[in-house]
Amino acid sequence: MADNDEFIGEFLIEAAENLDQLEQDLVALEADPRNPDRLASIFRTVHTIKGTCGFFGFTKLSTISHHGEHLLGRLRDGELVFNDALASLLLELVDAIRTVLAAIETAGGEGDDDFSGLCQRLDAAAAGVLSAAAEPIGEAAEAEAAGGAAAAEPVVEEPPEVADESVPGQPLEAAAATEPQPAVAASPRPAPATETPATSFGSPSPLSRSGPVLDPTIRVDVSLLDTIVDLVGELVLARNQLRTAAADDPTLVGAINRVHAVTGELQEAAMKTRMAPIDQLFSKFPRIVRDLANTCGRQVELHLDGADTELDRTLIEKIRDPLTHLIRNAIDHGIESADTRKAAGKPTCGRLSLRAFHESGQVTIEVEDDGGGIAVEAVRDKAILRGLVTAEDAATMSAERIFQFIFQPGFSTAQAITDISGRGVGMDVVRTNIESIGGTVDINSQPGVGTIVRVRVPLTLAIIPALVVTSGGERLAIPQPYVQELVALRAADGTHTIAGLAGAPVLRLRDRLIPVVFMDRWLGLREWTDRPTSGTVVIVKVDNHEFGLVVDAVTTTDGNRTTAGETTSLWIIVVKPIGGLLAPMGLYSGATVMGDGGVVLILDLRGLAMAADIPARASVTDQRPVLPEEDDQATTETARYLVCETHRGRRIAVPLEHVERLETFRHDQLNAAGDRQFVRRGSWLTRLIDPDVLRGAPTAPPAVPDGHLVGVILTADVGGDALSVSRIIDVDRAESPLQTGIGGRGLLGTLLVGGTATEVIDVPAAARWASHATAP
Amino acid sequence: MTLSLPPDGPSSGSPSFRWCSFLVADRCFAIDAANVAEVLRATAVNRVPLAAPAIAGLLNLRGRIVPVIDMRLRLGFETAEVEQPRINLVIDLRGEWYSLLVDDLLDVVSFDPAAIEAPSGSRSGPALDAVVGLLSKPDGLVHFLDPERLLQSLIVTRVRGLSVG
Repeated sequence: MADNDEFIGEFLIEAAENLDQLEQDLVALEADPRNPDRLASIFRTVHTIKGTCGFFGFTKLSTISHHGEHLLGRLRDGELVFNDALASLLLELVDAIRTVLAAIETAGGEGDDDFSGLCQRLDAAAAGVLSAAAEPIGEAAEAEAAGGAAAAEPVVEEPPEVADESVPGQPLEAAAATEPQPAVAASPRPAPATETPATSFGSPSPLSRSGPVLDPTIRVDVSLLDTIVDLVGELVLARNQLRTAAADDPTLVGAINRVHAVTGELQEAAMKTRMAPIDQLFSKFPRIVRDLANTCGRQVELHLDGADTELDRTLIEKIRDPLTHLIRNAIDHGIESADTRKAAGKPTCGRLSLRAFHESGQVTIEVEDDGGGIAVEAVRDKAILRGLVTAEDAATMSAERIFQFIFQPGFSTAQAITDISGRGVGMDVVRTNIESIGGTVDINSQPGVGTIVRVRVPLTLAIIPALVVTSGGERLAIPQPYVQELVALRAADGTHTIAGLAGAPVLRLRDRLIPVVFMDRWLGLREWTDRPTSGTVVIVKVDNHEFGLVVDAVTTTDGNRTTAGETTSLWIIVVKPIGGLLAPMGLYSGATVMGDGGVVLILDLRGLAMAADIPARASVTDQRPVLPEEDDQATTETARYLVCETHRGRRIAVPLEHVERLETFRHDQLNAAGDRQFVRRGSWLTRLIDPDVLRGAPTAPPAVPDGHLVGVILTADVGGDALSVSRIIDVDRAESPLQTGIGGRGLLGTLLVGGTATEVIDVPAAARWASHATAP
Repeated sequence: MTLSLPPDGPSSGSPSFRWCSFLVADRCFAIDAANVAEVLRATAVNRVPLAAPAIAGLLNLRGRIVPVIDMRLRLGFETAEVEQPRINLVIDLRGEWYSLLVDDLLDVVSFDPAAIEAPSGSRSGPALDAVVGLLSKPDGLVHFLDPERLLQSLIVTRVRGLSVG
């Protein structure tokens, strides 16, 4: 019958919530076994379930609950003392009830499982006979220290018929200390930090209930909220249209401004309805941590912080699995066994902290353990072994970048592959899942101290700030978090030009070389043979790879409310799904409707970059000159040169094969020793060779006009010194054969590069000269 | 989020015998009328760069983004020599909307499903894979289309070899 189905549906929802509450109470009770409020609450929950399922005729459920209620009654009345074994038994009861509820939900019936064994054990426990020897946990003093509640509160008995109004996401005392059974922690534990997060709706804490309290929340179907958010999105668009259309009409301006203000606030309020506190997720973790710690034979203390941090409810679901995996990792691989910890001088109980907080428009969640940590060297060696990176590259990488290798599929530095994790299939999935919602994850670790994994996710996916650009006659949107800066492409004064290396155009930006993509060509919107010399380059960063997107123009807003306030190029757009037909392309993450009614696609830069092999083209964060991939067209052997201007204004070319990297130095970083100049880089000194001096100029140190000079660091095989130049002009191919015999000491000859005859430095000779030159 | 053939939906073995018929390149096609959500005149669409050629673009239907499929291209015909006003037949497939851009709309008719024959192998080609039934009528052949199959072949999962210029 339809009516009955609806009631059963509600019953299932409420029962699930009650069980969650029950589970939390049980785990918390382990830390505070005599807490009367919790015991009463647990009893009431099971009692309610028993009553309701009897009403529906769910006899199996009713029987199980009845046996559970009997045991709980004795606990509540103080005839039995709560302990670890009872906790496990009652959690088993929770699981059993969940199993039956699942059966009801999927098949309509209670299922075929037999719970008579469980019922017998429940009865035995109620009679005071337990199968495993167990002692009561802790002393009363410890209980009070840990509780931070409620010892003084009277137990409130409420009439059992009250349908328990468990508010979803009700916060609890967050700390949960777990121990392997059945040993009792001999040394008193330090009182775990009891950060009791506040709910967003101000529901009363279960620990201090002094009477019936009216619940200020209501239950609303999520789809209704989504409809409201969609409608508000429409309103925002219509408002934009109105604004543009009525800009000239003074009589309407006042009313339009009012509409504008109200719509803005309505939008904020609507967005808030989609937000939910992360406590929904956090509240599940105490039990998971308890079970895992038991299985792995560890002692783990869980600390939760910031459970009231809010984010989009759809995102909460999506980070559940990744966070769970990170917790598993921390317990299984991070935190050491009690013996190991004692030997290392650490407290035997490991500490696992979960912290959530808002930070610059994102939600950051940190998972930190004080376990054995991960050695950077081990990760680096493993990465080299697996061919993920060369030894030379790895030597120059920061620790943070090296730790990123842990997220590669199949990468695992765990010594023994355990059942729970360590199979190396986990971390790459964690990263993929988090990235799929627009987030990032990174690791930092110190051997012997611990590990911290930081997950960052956007607050919401529905309304985002974006740049709207035009290219090849089309409008496209680029989500703002990718955008680093905007650079005008000017051919005339040569400040930002795109250098030509066949197949891989690059832009010189200050002292970096950035690979560049022409958007119109990329998307097949326009064809050309000569590279455009005007337009705007949007510098974006995807997964630590920086590249530039050349577009025709960046559309500015008119009358659109901007968040940053500084730039008028930022649009606040409503993201709409593009549907199952286009989403698999992986190029667009959605679409939006502009004020004029036109549809604009939102670019998925990561997908686009992968399709165009952008990450493979360059690694510019190390300021390495771009060495493009071998492409089919360029089979000619013309060498490439780095064209520079010396301190005395001369133009020279350095064969790119000898160039390791480019670095900028300040005048005060230079050291002089006799007539030689050195620059300090990190912990060693690099000798500077002045190409003018090579040519015979006097050895006086060059005038450094703005205090900077560019060092062209040479490769190790020619000595690893650096050429000191004033600025980098370009990277280009030779346009003529080398003409020798014209140059002097230290020069290979002259050739045509970038349209001008340029002297080419003989790098090995220059290096040899530098090592033998003596002071005059 | 790829489309997959539904186990049973309104378009397969449907008990409703009403079909929405339309013209594409002077041939008559029909789909289950239960799938049709709306009919509009052809309006401006936004190109989707790098999508399959048969995807004409996206249109904005009261705030909802609807992909438009050019039925001439999808069914293997050439684009019309003369620009003619066309019709958007908006269908609802499991909650998602798609618009079929057809030449002209014909009537909603009832055909006896028993009279519909399965297409023989010789008639079908890759473009006509969505034709699941044929019916001979005095004024021509009516081709019955399965909307799921219509869309399935348009899904592109790998876009490779983008030229960066």
